[in-house]
Amino acid sequence: MSVNNNENTIEETTEVHEAVASDGGIAASLGLNAQLFVFQLINFAIVAGIVWFMILKPLVKKMEERKKQIDESIDNAKRVETNLAESERQYQLKIDEAKVEANKIIELSHEEGKKLGKMLKDKAHNDIELLVMQAKKNIEIDKQEMKEEIKKETVELIVLAMEKILGERLPENIDQKFIKKILEEKK
Amino acid sequence: MENLHIPAFAPEILFHIGPIAITNTIVNVWIAILIFLVLGLFIKRNIKNKPGKLQNACEYIVELLLPYFDQVTGDRKKTIKFLPVVGSIFFFVLLSNWLGLLPGTGSIKLGHSFLLRPANSDLNLTLAMALVAVLSSHIYGFIAVGVFAHIGKFIQIKGIIKSLTKGPIAIFTAIVEFGVGILEIISEIAKVVSLSLRLFGNIFAGEVLITVIATLVAFAVPTPFMMLELLVGLIQASVFAMLTLVYLTVAVQEPHGTEH
Repeated sequence: MSVNNNENTIEETTEVHEAVASDGGIAASLGLNAQLFVFQLINFAIVAGIVWFMILKPLVKKMEERKKQIDESIDNAKRVETNLAESERQYQLKIDEAKVEANKIIELSHEEGKKLGKMLKDKAHNDIELLVMQAKKNIEIDKQEMKEEIKKETVELIVLAMEKILGERLPENIDQKFIKKILEEKK
Repeated sequence: MENLHIPAFAPEILFHIGPIAITNTIVNVWIAILIFLVLGLFIKRNIKNKPGKLQNACEYIVELLLPYFDQVTGDRKKTIKFLPVVGSIFFFVLLSNWLGLLPGTGSIKLGHSFLLRPANSDLNLTLAMALVAVLSSHIYGFIAVGVFAHIGKFIQIKGIIKSLTKGPIAIFTAIVEFGVGILEIISEIAKVVSLSLRLFGNIFAGEVLITVIATLVAFAVPTPFMMLELLVGLIQASVFAMLTLVYLTVAVQEPHGTEH
């Protein structure tokens, strides 16, 4: 690269103007020059390459990616919201079902309790009746036994009393027959 | 008034690299390239899902721009497809226009020439960009509708052949359509000329205006004009980019009648 001095620059400017004058065309008078045109074309191609590949393309790509992410996030959020609403609905449904079920169980338990209570009450009643009957039977047996015992005791007492009164003892068999006869008569 | 230097249409040659003449507009283009390169390297290396301040600012600008482009293309996918051309044009034109307003432009001298001059005040550059814009519209057209279908938009011989069996009115219509096709070819050339001359004219006029005003009154007075030039820079970048986008959008559309 070489930077010209003032004289050279003037010469070059003169060259350009001379070229313009010699061409005489409108294009040349407006500063059009084939070499400069090609050079500017290359410059613009470089600019376009840099602007697109290094600035706009990465930016647009990143913006698209972000937009996609945002869209996906919004969709996910909507899905989560829908799922949540559905879950809440299901939860409420289950709760309601559980309440109904619980009420049914309580009612059933109540009825069963009642039934069981009645059954136990009846059983107790029967048991009591049975016990009372048993007790009565026992009492009756005891009473009979006691009666027998009293009879026996009475016979012995009478025998003893007779022995004392009569002063002698009757034979055993006569004694017994006699007492029984008296007792029979007494009845 | 003796020091009044009205810039010439042609950019001034500063030095040579081999056979290539380096002009002051090329220096401005290089500065723009350097800025984009630094920015590009920074973005490419530090791009994250959770953006930093610079990435955020860049994304904000792109996000601001894309809906405008969408209005023309009608589809975000198409906008992204055209973004390499349209985005590059917009940002480059905008930056080089605003770089032309930096202190030093039109004042720092290298020899007898000014070191810096707005890049778009060089018709070579604006013509190069216009040519790229129009040519890329045809390349997109070839890809989108096919080479023959796209060429058929301009040279409508098929219509004439078909009309031969349909009577004189159909033939007349086909001839008119053929003529319209020829006009379309001319309009393609006009697109290049109008795009390049519009940008060049506006930026060159702004440069001349600021030079004249700054020469007349150096302090404070040029400021509103510079503010105006900021706006002109943005508007011209938008116009160039939007027109390119329109050309691209039209080029990828199916030719009339093919849908039936």
